[in-house]
Amino acid sequence: MDLLRQPVVGRFVRWRYSRFVLQLPLLLLALLAIYDGFAGRQLAPKNLATVSVWLHYRGFLVLIIAVLGNLFCSACPLMLTRGLSERLRRFVPQLSWPMALRNKYFVLVFTLIYLFAYEYFDLWASPWLTAWLMVGYFGAALVTDMIFPAGTFCKYVCPLGNFNFTLSTVSPTKIGVRDQQTCLACEGHFCVNGRVDTAHGPEPLSFDTGATAGARYPGCETRLYAPEIESNFDCTLCFNCVRACPYDNVTWEMRNPAREWTEVRYRLDYVLLGLLLFFAGFMNAFAMIPAYYDLAERAAVWLRTQNEAFLLVMAFVVWVGAGLGVTMLVVRVSDRLAGLQDTVWVGLRRWGPAFLPLTFAMWAGHYAYHFLTGWATIVPVTQQALANLGLAVGEPNWQLAALVPENLLYPLQVIILYLGLTGSAYTVFAKARELGRTSSALPMFFYLAVLVVLTLWVLAQPMEMRGTLLDPGSQPGGLK
Amino acid sequence: MRGPTLFALLLLLLPACKPVKAEPLEAEVVITPWPPQVRPSQILIRVPRSLDLVSVKVVGDMTHAGMIPVEADAVKTEDGVWRVEGFDLNMRGDWILTITAKDGEGTKYVKEVRFTIR
Repeated sequence: MDLLRQPVVGRFVRWRYSRFVLQLPLLLLALLAIYDGFAGRQLAPKNLATVSVWLHYRGFLVLIIAVLGNLFCSACPLMLTRGLSERLRRFVPQLSWPMALRNKYFVLVFTLIYLFAYEYFDLWASPWLTAWLMVGYFGAALVTDMIFPAGTFCKYVCPLGNFNFTLSTVSPTKIGVRDQQTCLACEGHFCVNGRVDTAHGPEPLSFDTGATAGARYPGCETRLYAPEIESNFDCTLCFNCVRACPYDNVTWEMRNPAREWTEVRYRLDYVLLGLLLFFAGFMNAFAMIPAYYDLAERAAVWLRTQNEAFLLVMAFVVWVGAGLGVTMLVVRVSDRLAGLQDTVWVGLRRWGPAFLPLTFAMWAGHYAYHFLTGWATIVPVTQQALANLGLAVGEPNWQLAALVPENLLYPLQVIILYLGLTGSAYTVFAKARELGRTSSALPMFFYLAVLVVLTLWVLAQPMEMRGTLLDPGSQPGGLK
Repeated sequence: MRGPTLFALLLLLLPACKPVKAEPLEAEVVITPWPPQVRPSQILIRVPRSLDLVSVKVVGDMTHAGMIPVEADAVKTEDGVWRVEGFDLNMRGDWILTITAKDGEGTKYVKEVRFTIR
């Protein structure tokens, strides 16, 4: 089914200001959140910066990705810096993004640094730092797209966008084309190059010298050619391709995401990003339970250090490194059972996509918990932020309760994880069938099942939300 | 260039936007049991006798967004001593207690204390 054929959806998406309409509310919310982060009370549950970013943004993100697609990239307010970056371009040298970095390795490292900073600086607990993070994002988008071609930030730099890309591999929609023959006959490749309407008909926008006065429709920001799109990776759902195609040949189609996991041959960097996000997602949840702090205490004694940065780096290196190492080992076993002698990297490209549904489930289970326990807090924090601006919006009610009763949250997380495991299992068995040796799926399947059990164990633990890795100690006698 | 210059200047002013600290309340806060545990606890607030308070409210927040705060009104037990029984410290981690007191003239006094439940 092509969603663009639906009466309201198609008309809205084709409207040239549709993206701006999606971006504007998020921009206003971001500006208010930044203001509250800097000027409001520095208490995470009572500040719009922390509540909107660490609770609602992440909660809605996984929900919308699961139901529709990567619409958060579509509505990303960071892209509203484009107008300014275009104007500032004449003052700075124009560079092309280095060939060596035209992959996900830079994002991979950047994501690791970001996740480290999240834990080390307790970004989740600091409205002020969260506000700075937002300002930093706007600044990075502006500077990157000012110096490099538009879309560079989304594709090669933005950890958040690439997180969305990875998770949207489970989405039930994808950009496609109605008729491949139309694309074969199309010389302008307008979906990528953009379109400018001239008196002689449509011309590719990227070849335009600026002399033409006709309506302009930019092409794909991340340089995806619509008839070749197999995966949601790198698609920001900006719908530029839909508006730029003069033949109305681009679709936003419903699909079975399992086809992507089983049929798309991802590059190694994409697979490694998916793996990193899985293990980082596990650590992100693990870092909220007492066992994590107990382990940190033991590591501090064993390594004879109280340096939290060092201990945190060690935790990342050991956990993510061990995760990658064991995955490579299991991949090798599965390959051998299938009678293959390929390198482990080739094996990772073959079996690694099976992690994608589980990666989504890992983050969705975690984010769903936080979102569902405190979704209504957006009301009083917004009231308070507006009140700080001098607007009369009534007394905030901080007791606004959760959306789902707490005893239903864990069963919900279990369901999400099992759905993820089902998707992963389907993928490994489909790959094994394709190789003609179904038993070769078993090592990967058991490995994924063990990881799910471990995750469920983590999610079942009582939470401990502490900003310090090591025990801060307690003052004797009380507080003064 | 006026717009971008103004934007850049505003950006440079952002670090000055650190929040204003709350007005201080001179008070001693005692949590029983100590060290604090995940359980209903007693909160004792000792304020200077010179302060003629009419109400004292205690709010417990955790440091993660989305956590519903624990709120209670303290009861005056003797001059300068206010108490909350059964204050539900319901999770391990970092807590922030905000004690808000009001005197007869409506003046508000606020004290924040932070502690960690292991």
